[in-house]
Amino acid sequence: MIDAIQALTVIGILAAALISGSLLAPYVVRVLTGAPTRLDRLMDPVEKRVYRLIGADPSMAMGWRQYFFAALCLNLAQMAIAFAILVGQGILPLNPQRFPGVSWDLALNTVISFATNTNLQHYAGEVTLSYFSQMTAIQFLQFTSAATGVCVMAAMVRGFKPGSAHMGNFYVDFVRVLTRILLPLCILAALVLVALGVPQTIGGYVTVRTVEGATQTLFVGPVASLVAIMQIGTNGGGYFGANSAYPFQNPNPATDVLQIYLMLLIPTTLIFVFGELIGKKKETRPILIASYGLLAIDLVIAFLGSIPVVGPGIETRFGGFFSTFWTVITTAVTTGSVNASLSGINPLGIMSAFMGMLIQATPGGKGVGVMYMIMYIVITVFVVGLMTGRTPEYLGAKINARDVKLVMAAFLVHPISVLLPTIAAYATKAVYAIPGFSSLPTSVGFTQVLYEFASSAANNGSDFFGAAANTQFFNLSTAAVMFVGRYVPIAILLALAGSMIGRKRVAEQSLRTDGAAFSFVLVGSILLLVVLTFLPFLILGPLLTYFQGMVNFFG
Amino acid sequence: MATSAKGSRWKTYRPVIALSVLSMLVCGLAYPLLITGVSQAAFPYQANGSQVQLGGRTVGSYYIDNGFTLPIFFHGRNETNPLTASASGVDPDITLSEALSQVPRVSNATGIPVPNLDALVMAHEHWTLWIAGDPYVNVLELNLALIAAYPSSYPGYS
Repeated sequence: MIDAIQALTVIGILAAALISGSLLAPYVVRVLTGAPTRLDRLMDPVEKRVYRLIGADPSMAMGWRQYFFAALCLNLAQMAIAFAILVGQGILPLNPQRFPGVSWDLALNTVISFATNTNLQHYAGEVTLSYFSQMTAIQFLQFTSAATGVCVMAAMVRGFKPGSAHMGNFYVDFVRVLTRILLPLCILAALVLVALGVPQTIGGYVTVRTVEGATQTLFVGPVASLVAIMQIGTNGGGYFGANSAYPFQNPNPATDVLQIYLMLLIPTTLIFVFGELIGKKKETRPILIASYGLLAIDLVIAFLGSIPVVGPGIETRFGGFFSTFWTVITTAVTTGSVNASLSGINPLGIMSAFMGMLIQATPGGKGVGVMYMIMYIVITVFVVGLMTGRTPEYLGAKINARDVKLVMAAFLVHPISVLLPTIAAYATKAVYAIPGFSSLPTSVGFTQVLYEFASSAANNGSDFFGAAANTQFFNLSTAAVMFVGRYVPIAILLALAGSMIGRKRVAEQSLRTDGAAFSFVLVGSILLLVVLTFLPFLILGPLLTYFQGMVNFFG
Repeated sequence: MATSAKGSRWKTYRPVIALSVLSMLVCGLAYPLLITGVSQAAFPYQANGSQVQLGGRTVGSYYIDNGFTLPIFFHGRNETNPLTASASGVDPDITLSEALSQVPRVSNATGIPVPNLDALVMAHEHWTLWIAGDPYVNVLELNLALIAAYPSSYPGYS
């Protein structure tokens, strides 16, 4: 259990995210709708030149197919650039440590990982990547994947918005989100992080003689600029193998609190953006209640267990409280950064982390969190419609059989891409190629494998294995899972939104979706759907570990 | 016909290729280099890894475990027992109680009285929640304070 000051800290940080999210939302809406903002005088001429340079017509309206394929093709081209940089880093500049090129399967895994906003890392950055790779492969994809998430969410919302005729223009959305939201926020956050102690240099690693005379290498680099986008963009991939447990990435409690806040900021903002963009502010309510309500449940589960004391896997400056708090938040927003080794977190904390990654909307990753929440809403509206014998409607549009098939398909992508590879990893004995993995079937081992694929499919990126999973099986299987887990649900949900365009809307819905009652039903149906799907696997994993611990405790 | 098909394909893919290169140049080069330039000018100490000096020589970073092993110094947790190692492996801090438990050894090795060492440890206390939470000390900071306060016990170090 936690004490009063810790409880107040949790509430304070969540409240700060909610308040700043609601304040930032109107600006984000103006960016997405092209309404005038203060940055116009500076940015409008730049953007015009960009559109001319890249040969895109900003006035062209796109349907869902065009929008999706523009996003997918751009992401693929960006992956290709980053892949070439990683494989060729040995002959590229800004490589003072003279690191050789990355192997093709690790490079493939890494670029898919970062382009899909997952940031699963099968390498330790400080001993693998040059400064050039950290900047032009890693930070680059962290920006573009985050921007892509916001864009596809905006497109989906436009499809659902009554009276809209198209999904917008992907290139315009992408450029505006990058230049008017992500870059300004990151410049600000990166400079604050440097002031608080995070390094930012391209001067090469520093070798010193310690006080006692031993030789020590300080892994400095362009760290702060990466940490800013990894948290703001809910990416999570760190500069160092130990991620935000490494002191240069997260030097003190102040940077820890700041990073937790930054992870929550944009996903929370986008909840408010949804209502404003759709033109019915009240429709934000069920998403807000459901996502933060489920997050509160996750936090309670995690803090019910004993908070770990400073010991294996826990950094002294954060202690057990901040380590557990971080773990819940990082999975709730599918960021995937860590400030402790997951092996140091108690099984209930891990259970709660699973809930975040399995639901993917508490509040979920940048943009996609809101998309998944709309998916749950459509399912819930349909189920409630069946139970009460009323026509299922959302935002005035009748939900038909095809809509329900689409959302169920989108929902099923997740269990299929988590559970099948988990089974395959055991069936092919590929798990035993991981150094240090127990050859006996243990609940802890099962938790680690299930976590690897849940984290990949949810585009979260935190993991137990880290560089130990740099095997061909895990590089390729998780790469496929990350790709499917990202683009298939996005394609299906955009198709759903596209089919809403031009559909007849009723002025008065028979079942209101903007009230408290619907919000509670929504929470219930999300828990029911997710728990029923994954419960057998969770029992074999973290729950078994928890109860084994209880048995051992009682003797 | 063939050229116009090629032309329309180029029209479709040109934004994709051009925008991916442009976004790499802006997000991957211009942004981190801008942050590096401003940081080096405004916060050179932090930007270069918070390097700590002793007697005019750089001996390490405030944020990285300095690897003390001699009995005359306080030790970090990564040296004392690998089974209790931190997540990063370079945790620069130890809990207050861990530091206090090392006081008798340091006192034995240096002859500095236990109450003086206890007071020095307490004077360098930090907290995980600013003014609350779990107390801890930075090992390098503590040992440098020790050297500064008792130079005669640490000949050759200052």
